[in-house]
Order: sequence, then C-alpha cells, then structure tokens
Amino acid sequence: MKKIEKRQHRHGFFRWIALALLVLTGLAAFFIPPVQPDIKAASAEVAGPLFSLPVIGDFYLTNSLIGMLLVDLIIVGLAWAIRKILKSSSIPGRSISGVIIAILEVLFNLTERTAGKWAKEVFPWFATITLTVLVANLLDLLPGIEGIGLLVPSVSGYVIETLIPGVLSTITRQTNAAQLYSLVTFVRSPSTDLNFTLALGLIAVISIQVMGLRYQGFTYLKRFFNVSTLFSKPGLGIMDFMVSLLELISEFAKIISFTFRLFGSIFAGMVLLALSGTLIPVIGQSGVMLFELFMGLIQALVFGLLTMVFMSQAIRGEEQEETPKDEQRIPVVER
Amino acid sequence: MTGDIVEAARLIGAGIAMIGALGGGIGVGLSIQGAMQGMARNPDAYNNLFVNMLLGVAFSEAIAIYCLVIAFVILFVV
Repeated sequence: MKKIEKRQHRHGFFRWIALALLVLTGLAAFFIPPVQPDIKAASAEVAGPLFSLPVIGDFYLTNSLIGMLLVDLIIVGLAWAIRKILKSSSIPGRSISGVIIAILEVLFNLTERTAGKWAKEVFPWFATITLTVLVANLLDLLPGIEGIGLLVPSVSGYVIETLIPGVLSTITRQTNAAQLYSLVTFVRSPSTDLNFTLALGLIAVISIQVMGLRYQGFTYLKRFFNVSTLFSKPGLGIMDFMVSLLELISEFAKIISFTFRLFGSIFAGMVLLALSGTLIPVIGQSGVMLFELFMGLIQALVFGLLTMVFMSQAIRGEEQEETPKDEQRIPVVER
Repeated sequence: MTGDIVEAARLIGAGIAMIGALGGGIGVGLSIQGAMQGMARNPDAYNNLFVNMLLGVAFSEAIAIYCLVIAFVILFVV
C-alpha cells in the first residue's frame, strides 16, 4: 500500500516538472521569438588554422570536430564510470552499467545469430560503430547545441542586439541593415558532417575486406575476380566473371551508401528540428525530438548491423553455415 | 546569372528531386509487408525476420535518402 502511494507521488512530481517546462517554453517563445538558424551543409571553422600539413593543407578546428571530441569524451567517461561501478558494487545491473550491459547483450545475441562461431571477431566492430554513431546522433538533441556559438559577419543573416558589450549578443529577426551576422555554433553533431560519415564508411568497408582476407586467405579474392570457371565452361564462365566484377563495384557502392544514408537522415533531422523550432516552438518540437531519438537509434543500429552482416559474409565466404539442429527443425505434430 | 528566377528554379529543382522518394517509400512498405506476413504466420521467426526486415528497409531507404541529399545540396550548398 505504501509503495503504491510513493510511486504515484513520483509520477505526479515529474508531471509537474514537465508542465512547468512547457509553460516556460511558451513564455520564452513569446518574449524571445525563435529565429531560423542559418543551415549549412558543411561544417564551419571555429578557430583559425592550427597547423598545416604539406599535401592536405591547413587544419582548422571545425565545430563538428569539437562535437566528435565531445562524443569521445562521453564514451570514455561512460566506460570509466561503468568500470568503477563494476569494480566496487556486487550488483552490476543496478545503475547505468545495467543499461549498457543490456544493450551489449542484445547486440551480441544479434551477432551470434548472424556470424555463428565468428561472433567474437565481428562483435567488437559492430558494438564500437553502433555506440559511436548512437552517441553522435543523440548529441544533436542536446539543448544549446544549435543555439550557442560565434557571431560572424556574413552576406545573408540577421541583425544582432548586444546584451553585454563584447561578450554576449543575440540575434533578432530583422534582416535589413548594413551589417548582418550569422551564427557559427561551437558544437555540431558529427553525423551531420559528411567527413565523419565518409571516414566511418571507409573504416567499415576496409575492415570488412581485411577480415575477409584474414580468415579466407586468397580465396576471398575469388569473390571479385572469379576466373575458376572461365576456361572450363567458356559460356557460363564469362558470366561468372562478370558477376564477380559486379560484386567488386558493389563494394564501392557500399561506401557511398554507408556515407549518405547516415549523413542524409541525421542532417534531415537537424533541418527538421531547426524548422519546427522556428515554426511551432512550443509543443511541436517535442514530437519531432521524439522522432529524432528513434531515428538516431535506428540509424546507429542499421550502420552497425550492415557492417556486421557484410563482415560475417566476408568471413564465412561460400560455405554454408551449419545451423544448430534444434533451432532448424520445426516439430511436426502427427495427427 | 542570379536573381529571383534562379532562386525559384532552385526551389523547384529541390522539390522535383524528392519525387524519387516515392520508390523508396514503396520499397520500404513492401519489405515491411512481407516481414509482417511472415511474422503473423510464424511468430517464432520474429527475431530473424526483424533483423532481415531492418536490413531491407535500410537498403530501400538509402535510395530515398540519396534524393534527400541531392535536394539538400541544391538548397544549401549550390
């Protein structure tokens, strides 16, 4: 009886907090009308050239780079905290470590079902990519990420209004003045930068090839240059060779599809959040945020899942995986 | 060449580029339909079908996302 009362009190408490935040959002949107941010597809430079490399060129501190460092910091901090919890307490599933253990167990079961006995080799890639992309996607949803930054003079932008001279300014809605400014945010989610997704896609595809070569040896190359039947069966052999060349092209298509799938969906989410924050600032953006939470989770899972499936295909090669008998056989009831 | 007509052409082009999302939508719908029918007939196969359904959805969704990326390039980059 007492427990139920306590639980109801807790729910009621959170409900009041949510209501207060809603009213606060309404008031804020009424007194300071939200301004549509200047959406750019490329990440912007926050600080000047740090150093320059001979071939590549100048190295700038971009805002998506700061976002990536933040993602790394979050993941390392999480790992450190979980290590501390696991060492000190006797119940590992009590706090946030329980959540992470549950996630990793789900991912490992997925890997085991696809990769079979090579699950231990494939799993680290799958879990690393999924967790990194997940944190990078969800970084987009933190409040203040899209709103705090440097004001730089630009051709198209807004008039600024100084709050504290030299330190703090805010953008107003006017757009007709001699000097216009636009906002360059300090932090930008790395998934909305094409460089991050391209790098991750390259890492995934190259690691797939490396794992295939490691576990199958040179027979792995038969997948791309199938000349085994070229001379014995001239008609169908040429067909086999052509099909294997198509396989080679599809490896390059994998890089492109990895890159643009993640970039497109998360950048679209960023644009949607910005536009809905301008148009329906009070309640509408909450629904969009919920949708983006789901979308970030799904995209992270899809990126990792595709890497895992391609990698286990590359490791296994042509041979058929023997499934355990008790799973394969469906019991037939005799009538 | 700049001006209002170029701006209008850009916006129309971004809209037309999104027509390609039609095919992606049909593909996602078909793959989910197939997976749902399989799950309804054989509920034990739920886990296996769900993973494969996600993969199929990701492949067909990629085509729609290419259109989206092209629309974004037209809108925000060029």
